[in-house]
Amino acid sequence: MTDVSAAAVEKLVALFPDVLIGTGESCGQRYADVRRDRIVDLLTFLKSDAELQFEMLMDVTAVDYLNQGAPERFCVVYQLYSISKNGYFRVKAYVPEADPTIDSVSGLWKSAPWAEREVFDLYGIEFAGHPDLKRIMLPDYYTGHPLRKDYPLRGLGERDNFPKYAGGA
Amino acid sequence: MATQPWQHEGILTTSLREVVTWARRNSLWPMPFGTACCAIELMATLASKYDMARFGAEVIRFSPRQSDLMIVSGRISLKMMPVLSKIWEQMPEPKWCISQGACASCGGIFDTYAMIQGVDKFIPVNVYIPGCPPRPESIIDALIKIQEIVDSEGIRQRTA
Amino acid sequence: MADMPSSPAMQVEQELEGDLGARRMIVNFGPQHPATHGTLRNIITVDGERVLKIEPELGYLHSGFEKLGEYRTYNQTVTITDRMNYLSPLCNNVGFSLACEELMGIKVTPRCAAIRVALAELSRVADHILSVGLQAMDLGAFSVMLWTFIEREKLYDIFEAVTGARLTTSYTRIGGLMRDLPPDFEPMCRAFMSKCAKTIDEIDDVLSNNTIFVKRTKGVGAISANDAIDLGLTGPLLRSTGVAYDVRKQRPYLGYEQYEFEVAAEQEGDVYARYRVRMKEMREALKIVDQVLRKMPAGPVNVDDPRVVIPLKDAGNNPQGGMEGLIYHFKTYMYGHGICPPKGEVYSCTEAPNGELGFYLVSDGTQRPWRFRVRPPSFYNYQALPRMSEGGLLSDVVANLSSLNIIAGELDR
Repeated sequence: MTDVSAAAVEKLVALFPDVLIGTGESCGQRYADVRRDRIVDLLTFLKSDAELQFEMLMDVTAVDYLNQGAPERFCVVYQLYSISKNGYFRVKAYVPEADPTIDSVSGLWKSAPWAEREVFDLYGIEFAGHPDLKRIMLPDYYTGHPLRKDYPLRGLGERDNFPKYAGGA
Repeated sequence: MATQPWQHEGILTTSLREVVTWARRNSLWPMPFGTACCAIELMATLASKYDMARFGAEVIRFSPRQSDLMIVSGRISLKMMPVLSKIWEQMPEPKWCISQGACASCGGIFDTYAMIQGVDKFIPVNVYIPGCPPRPESIIDALIKIQEIVDSEGIRQRTA
Repeated sequence: MADMPSSPAMQVEQELEGDLGARRMIVNFGPQHPATHGTLRNIITVDGERVLKIEPELGYLHSGFEKLGEYRTYNQTVTITDRMNYLSPLCNNVGFSLACEELMGIKVTPRCAAIRVALAELSRVADHILSVGLQAMDLGAFSVMLWTFIEREKLYDIFEAVTGARLTTSYTRIGGLMRDLPPDFEPMCRAFMSKCAKTIDEIDDVLSNNTIFVKRTKGVGAISANDAIDLGLTGPLLRSTGVAYDVRKQRPYLGYEQYEFEVAAEQEGDVYARYRVRMKEMREALKIVDQVLRKMPAGPVNVDDPRVVIPLKDAGNNPQGGMEGLIYHFKTYMYGHGICPPKGEVYSCTEAPNGELGFYLVSDGTQRPWRFRVRPPSFYNYQALPRMSEGGLLSDVVANLSSLNIIAGELDR
């Protein structure tokens, strides 16, 4: 929320023009829309650059922009925070519906593995190079990815599929 | 008549049913299946202000083999339901179940893909406590109702 | 050993035998266990008493909060946020309402900000005191838990007087609060604060220099500051490693900059350091509440913005009463209308007792969020458990787990 996000935008525009789709600002917070290629390089740069130093990956999540006119359907969102510069920045990497994969950043930050597992579980986006990509919130036998916009809120009947115990009375 | 030594001790005559149900209802050992917010209210009920130990339900054994009252407090998700079933199976008869709170009774505010809409769909429940979360007084009321149920059932055989 | 003919079973046996001939065993810890705070499962591979590998498993309380939030209006979602960190629901309410207000560009009134700060700090005390109590119970000191529950009961009385409910408060709304404080809020708070300070001192007396407690917690589960930052830890866990990062100081919200308080930080990063951080934070929280009560501004609690707050019903006095008031009232609640933030997104974070609680809201201009994402501190804190416990003893896993203060509602959402 301070200068570091402006500096990040400038540097990204200068150094990663091929993957940068655009930058934006919403409610005073800057973010960068990027393509999913070279995401690891981009985030490595943001983490290690001396003026930016985004040491903490606060959150990895995803948004499903079904029929909203976004560059692609899915968007993996990385919230970065720099403790030393006290600033936030958001990187939004767009992932197409036909091939929902993106490189994993588990090698960069140790906070990434579980967050990426959750995104995989609830959205179906696969992370290439993830050490242990499996479902985290839902049971292993579950099929379907509930947080997608075309999945019903009440599910498809999984919640009624358990054995019934007769009463003792 | 010659006095027998036991005449000074006092004798009680009663029926076996009375004694067994009295013992059962005043020493219900709960198995708190606490998952979410209701578990905090259950813990508050067991703490000093709303002491549930007064009613005999003090021995909280997290082992199902040693308990006879399961209190399902909190929402039960897809992953947790098999665990609940297993623990219910492991409890020996006679056993009773209290479903505490809206989520355990009917799914509560969580009418979603991952929430069981009421544990009574899969295990038999004796008393439901409405509330989100129910006050400790309600939980104690439910315990008293279970005690009345225990009383009314007697000592007939229970089959699972 | 090498000369014996090896069948597959023997090969496995030989593989399992370590230097001391100890066997590897897989122990299941949870999800139904007295020492797991909520529904967590840890699959622990032990070699005797020493932990070789821990694999935590979550999802036992996954309720679909984030999807549910997409089907509720913004004010309705406040009720959902209660159920996440159910030990300090007011902190969640405050955090979420702040995120919505940032999305809409609304600044709350000073009185509302002060009330929110006071209640959030009281919730912080509630959360920390229970965390310390449960930690003590896990390590054997059961009475401490009962003392902390008495303090929580007093807090419940205060919360009930203010919000109407003990636990699931749902007190904040966009642009303000459900209602103003009751007239006896200050005396109740002051009575509670004086007694609570004594209880905290008593707990300190019993635990801080107690040989057993110290032996079970000092040096146990230590992590370095770099590891903590890499793992995304926040809150007492990060501060116990020496990094004094507190959202209330770094990016003050709701007027925290006007209150004087210290950020609790220790250096060692072990279980004992986290306990000390929580104890200090409780005392600082009571200090903040004291300052809020002294400086409590008068005035309205709801912001005067007809987009979010329904006007008062008396048509005569209120310039927005009458027909206009009725129209606004309708529009705020009608389906398809309601409180509609402009299109955009925001990531707003507050300092919850467990760490940084973040809300990432994406709005598409309608009355329901397009995306309601909660950045749960417990989720990232729990990821640190293998790092802390591997190589230690099995009983230290209990100490570590209780010091993380994992709230399953927030972990799984």
